[in-house]
Amino acid sequence: MGFLKKILGFFHDDWCSKCQSKMEEKNRQLYMLPMMVGHYTSHDDAEYYKKNLIKVNGKADIPIGNYACGVIAYECQECGHKAVKLSIFLPVRDQEKLEDAKYFENGEMDDFIAR
Amino acid sequence: MEEKKLKKMNVVYLMAYIFAPMLICAVCFWLSAEFFPKGNMAVVLLMGPSILSFIWWVFAGKIIYKKTQKKLEKKLDEMGFERNHTFYGSGSMIVVDVVHGNIGMAFFWNPSEVFVLPASRITKTWVDDGKSGAGIFAGSARVSFLFTIDNIKIRVNTFTSNQRWRMDSDYILTGISKADMMVDVLEEARTVKEK
Repeated sequence: MGFLKKILGFFHDDWCSKCQSKMEEKNRQLYMLPMMVGHYTSHDDAEYYKKNLIKVNGKADIPIGNYACGVIAYECQECGHKAVKLSIFLPVRDQEKLEDAKYFENGEMDDFIAR
Repeated sequence: MEEKKLKKMNVVYLMAYIFAPMLICAVCFWLSAEFFPKGNMAVVLLMGPSILSFIWWVFAGKIIYKKTQKKLEKKLDEMGFERNHTFYGSGSMIVVDVVHGNIGMAFFWNPSEVFVLPASRITKTWVDDGKSGAGIFAGSARVSFLFTIDNIKIRVNTFTSNQRWRMDSDYILTGISKADMMVDVLEEARTVKEK
């Protein structure tokens, strides 16, 4: 059962990777990633996002052709594990083109979320 | 700033590009038939121009266009043009200076000239998402942004394909985003110049 739950956990962003319980969403914020359409490069280093993400109130604040980044902070109520998910997407009129997703589970983004 | 009229296509270059190799081939074939029906010279006269024509049609246009692009870039740098946005389309290169409200252009079919014009000469800008079909059949094979200068319509493709894609496909969305961005940039440059 535990093994099956672990496999299912791969398909659920909001499941704890330690105990496979559903995590609670603690914070959700939209940012602008200063990268233009056609020039996206993936970065695995949390420092890059901390340095470059610009807080915005909504998609309307993001200039046309720039990438957006949705940041969601999760916390597991069972084991206390924390995770931050970054969804990088291109807003195109009323649609979104998902470009990349990043997970930081070792507290790399905690100070950024707390700002 | 230049007041010269925009010219997307040089008809002489277009005709020469297509027909000059054909003419040279025809002359060589005639020479071969008349004076060298056999032997090494016949092979040279028949094969040489044919191979060179093929090379010309496949590569020459791209090489010449590349040189035109370099020429435009050099000219823009000499003028102190701030290259805020550059879009390399298949048949044209568009460079926009949003700070000073100018636009630089180079065209594939007019390699002898490059243009640097005030963006205030743009009369209209729009995006063509190429959408056809309805409902679940809606799709597109081309997305482009268009603008008119001196009543000359310039179309720059941001996405082309030999097959139709759904309107929510990544290719189409990326193409629309690029086109929207370029229209926005052109409008911004026009506003700056008109102030």
